[in-house]
Amino acid sequence: MLRDRTLLLRRQFLQGIGAAAFAAGFIGPQAVFAQAIGKRGGTLTIAVPYEVDTLNTFSTGFLADIQSVVVEGLIAPDEDAKYFPVLATEVPTVENGGVKLSADGKRMDITFKLRPNVTWSDGAPFTSEDVKFTWMALKDPKFIAESKEGVTEIDAIETPDPLTAVIRFNTVTPIWPSGFFSRGILPKHALEGKDLNTDGYNTKPLGTGPFVITEFKRGQYVVADRNPRYWRKDKDGTQLPYLDRMVFNLVPDASAMVTRIRAGEILLAYNIPYGQAQALSSSMEIIKNPILSWQRLDFNFKGPAAFRDLKVRQAFAHAINKDAIAKALSGFPFVVNSPVSKQFDYHDPNVRTYAFDPAKAKALLDEAGYVVGSDGVRAKGADKMAYRITVQAGNSADETAQQVVMANLKAVGIALSPDNKTGVAFREARYKGLYDLLYSRWITSADPQYSKFYGTEGSNNGTGFSSPKLDALLDTAEHTIDRAKLKEIFKEIQAFLADEVVTIPTTSNVSLIAKSAKLKNFVPNPTNRTIFNNTAAWYLEG
Amino acid sequence: MSFGSFIRRLLGTIPLILGISVVLFSIIHLAPGSPLDFYADNPNVTREALEQMRVAFGLDKPVPEQYVRWLWAFLNGNWGISFRTGQPVLEVILERLPATLILSGSAFLLSLAIAIPIGVLAATRRYSKLDTFFTFVSFSGISIPVFWVGLMAQLVFAIWLGWLPAGGFQTVGNGSFMDVLTHMVMPVCILSFATIAGWSRYVRASLIDVIGQDYIRTARAKGQTPRKVIWRHAVRNALLPIVTVVALDIVQIVSGAVITETIFSWPGIGRLFVESMDGRDYPVLMGLMMISSFTMVAANFAADMLYAVIDPRVRLA
Repeated sequence: MLRDRTLLLRRQFLQGIGAAAFAAGFIGPQAVFAQAIGKRGGTLTIAVPYEVDTLNTFSTGFLADIQSVVVEGLIAPDEDAKYFPVLATEVPTVENGGVKLSADGKRMDITFKLRPNVTWSDGAPFTSEDVKFTWMALKDPKFIAESKEGVTEIDAIETPDPLTAVIRFNTVTPIWPSGFFSRGILPKHALEGKDLNTDGYNTKPLGTGPFVITEFKRGQYVVADRNPRYWRKDKDGTQLPYLDRMVFNLVPDASAMVTRIRAGEILLAYNIPYGQAQALSSSMEIIKNPILSWQRLDFNFKGPAAFRDLKVRQAFAHAINKDAIAKALSGFPFVVNSPVSKQFDYHDPNVRTYAFDPAKAKALLDEAGYVVGSDGVRAKGADKMAYRITVQAGNSADETAQQVVMANLKAVGIALSPDNKTGVAFREARYKGLYDLLYSRWITSADPQYSKFYGTEGSNNGTGFSSPKLDALLDTAEHTIDRAKLKEIFKEIQAFLADEVVTIPTTSNVSLIAKSAKLKNFVPNPTNRTIFNNTAAWYLEG
Repeated sequence: MSFGSFIRRLLGTIPLILGISVVLFSIIHLAPGSPLDFYADNPNVTREALEQMRVAFGLDKPVPEQYVRWLWAFLNGNWGISFRTGQPVLEVILERLPATLILSGSAFLLSLAIAIPIGVLAATRRYSKLDTFFTFVSFSGISIPVFWVGLMAQLVFAIWLGWLPAGGFQTVGNGSFMDVLTHMVMPVCILSFATIAGWSRYVRASLIDVIGQDYIRTARAKGQTPRKVIWRHAVRNALLPIVTVVALDIVQIVSGAVITETIFSWPGIGRLFVESMDGRDYPVLMGLMMISSFTMVAANFAADMLYAVIDPRVRLA
């Protein structure tokens, strides 16, 4: 069971608003829709690997999978994680005048031109007032939203005409596209004055998207039917979406999901456990969706004294066989040496690596003064190298990797004992540093704000690591929109993380998707904006 | 049994239920983690937003005060709002209760209908081949994990033979009696399997015990037919201890069967409980556990009363 879904952030990442970035990264709607001409009709059955809490895209604790077929934002990321316009007519850039920096360079205005003739699925027109309303609704402290980030960075939204929205930021931030306007727009005419925490919108959201929720049976399924008023047509002028209906079956148990796929009840499923892929490959196409996620071993810097010794951390890095971990996970993940995912242009492929070398690890530990005792475990005086290693109990991939790490470290004289925790207890341990060693994974997706993981005040920094030098670097990175400069800073950040062995990144993660060969025009999406953000073009063959 | 003692016993359950609620509330709140951790996992949730949620959920108050607030609201019929879905708790539970009632209720009745005859047959033909066979099957039912039996049944009947759906409560948009019935077959049978195995052992043991009693010999000596001796004299007495066992299992009808519901994607209370536990959805958890506790206390109470009715020797003080 994948209990870690809340980690999958709903923000997508951005390749920057700098000129170069968008010149290279921009893909117009033509490119996205340049897919095969499909045919209308058919029902697609999908397995959703968790129990949906609410269909309000802003309050769900999960990724907005189902929500994405109903609710649209102004822009969205495509399969290459580049933004394309949805309810806007173009992605604002400095070149097209959509992004304007203030004279002092301290703040910026972003202007969205909205697509004309778009209506909500109830027929009401979509206007810039809806954009403004969405911001106001999120800003309201009474609304319990899962994510409000980005809302406070906005001072005002102006609506000079129904098809223009000017967003006035009080800062300069390269991550603006991940703001609420790319996650979804709320309908003002239906929600003004309502209590968003309890409104019926949470079970039957009203959107501009290709589908409309017609039935939500908790614990069972969600049915989405074609929105006859959808604004998009294919090249031949056929009204989209192609599919008549999507049925999202809620199947949180992995083995139940596999059984139902094999029984032919499910045509599309995602987050397939690595170990189950083989069993499904005879009846389904297995797609490897590289996600912005990596596995790593973290030290508790406030824990055992040995971890504050750089030599010890280097020894750990040399002792761990990353290839063995990747192999143990059915060979799906690949080895990584930097927490910055390969997909980002500022990923540094030449970052310092620590080769698997037990002899070197032993030598480093000797140097650090930890010598092998009679029981085979190293110690420096009373300081014995026996630690607890925590993973999320029930996460079979992490438990497998844990076994490899324990065996690797035992070979160099470090005794690890598992201290695995489930659910919230695991989360608490992770955030409060209630562990010696932690083997886990982060999924950023977000325009990576690495200060959250490695900054002294970082909300996800449970390791207790703190370095003023790194803090300063991270802060600079998060206020720089010049692409070349950003690359330089990130090179320094990655060098620092590797040199100091702040963390030991081991492998990437992929999300396995099982899909029937009948489903066409399906494109995976590496961002947390989910694979469901272009369902209008999907169609079923035969 | 006098009416007075009945009322006395009935009133006695009130402090019991109150006590249970205090214990449950404490355990839930003392368990590591809080509902906000669900959000704290997400780096996008700002500290201010978390603080807003803490206040909105009332988690900033001391636990005893939270309990008193919860109890007062609960007694007034307000079970609170689910932290996860924003729906009233009663609505959340009532959405799921029918599925569990149908599944566990059917399994309960089926188990009762099968376990008693099997137990009786096994006891009256003690050490026969039939008895050995039932013993073997019963121990299989008790020892083999439910999830394994469930997965095997799915493999055979849903994947290989394709006779039954692999899971779910109904076909989308159908939900007719026959449709639900088809979906029920496997989970009900699997849920009953273990129960029948357990109960039939109790019936067998209890009946063997009774058959050895003097009054059975007396009945036989009087020339009663074997059938009459067994069903009228022996079984009636042997069922007395069974009442307690069965009554204790009644609570499953409302608390759901977590494993069976999970394997068969059954939208019942058992799964709701696990979901709510994972998310530390306190109001829903309290609602679910109060229903279970109440049912448990009521079933016990009923068993005690029934005992007194069935067996005149049992006197309620």
